[in-house]
Amino acid sequence: MDNVATHEDWKVCFSSLAPGLLLFARQWLRSSADAEDVVQEAFVRFWRRNHNIENRALLYATVRSIALDFLRRDNRRARRESDVVAEIEHSVQPKFTTEDETQRALAAAMDHLPGEQREVVVMKIWNELTFAEIGSVLGISQNTAASRYRYALGALRKNFTPQ
Amino acid sequence: MNDFSELENQLRKLRPAPPSPELFSRVERALVDVAEENESADNVVRPDRFRMNWVSLGLGLAAAAALLIVARIESNRPAKKIPAVASLTPAPRDKASAINDQLVPAGFTQVVYNTRDEGLQFANGAVQPMRRVRYQTHETLQWRNAATGASLRVSYPSEQVDLIPVSGQ
Repeated sequence: MDNVATHEDWKVCFSSLAPGLLLFARQWLRSSADAEDVVQEAFVRFWRRNHNIENRALLYATVRSIALDFLRRDNRRARRESDVVAEIEHSVQPKFTTEDETQRALAAAMDHLPGEQREVVVMKIWNELTFAEIGSVLGISQNTAASRYRYALGALRKNFTPQ
Repeated sequence: MNDFSELENQLRKLRPAPPSPELFSRVERALVDVAEENESADNVVRPDRFRMNWVSLGLGLAAAAALLIVARIESNRPAKKIPAVASLTPAPRDKASAINDQLVPAGFTQVVYNTRDEGLQFANGAVQPMRRVRYQTHETLQWRNAATGASLRVSYPSEQVDLIPVSGQ
């Protein structure tokens, strides 16, 4: 399972993965600068340890872990992870490049999803992880991941009004 | 899941913002730093004495433990006292103080608890049969220090085989 990529390959990998990783990290972090810090640390750590780049579940788990550590350090309070996520749930929007009002409305609807559903949608839609991989990242079963995804899409369809 | 296919398509049209160009250069710098760190770490010549060889350490500890056990057994071994048995010759009474300072033989018992007749046998080259009798015994040696009242007793099993010539009748 060695990462046999050459030195230049990291750019190819990172170019394709970085937007999704940043979007994933932005769920917990207030600024894109913080998200970039987290993604940088996670990617460098992942690459340095010579993990197989195909092991995306591990890469996203690394991003999530570092983002939550970052959040805990940033808040300087020993809170439970779920409390923290709940608190910032409505203060952070995933960052998209929107082209019209419809897309802006959809992005806003995404912001109103519960955190545990939103992270599943982000991994599924923009990072193309399987439910098995998502379950591995979050420490939940594949069925639970799929169930959260369905609930999320149901909520989005309910809340999203095309312009 | 197909119920949501249209919504999924709309979501996919939303593109996450691309990373800033600085992020690429930062990651590149970090990867280069890591590579240099690894390279310099590889170039460091570490003296052999700082390398921990766990197998050697384990073997060494095991050997040391074995030596300690052997040393302890040797120090407690009653066989060391056997020369005292050999020197049963009574010491001169006028050296009572010397006698008082050491353990002296105080008794010897031999209990035969089993005797087995193993039948007639011919020893090598013998023309006369011999009866072989095996005795299983339990022997006890005892020493006593008259000055301190301390005593030492050693018991051990032993076995003795006697070949008794059988005369023809």
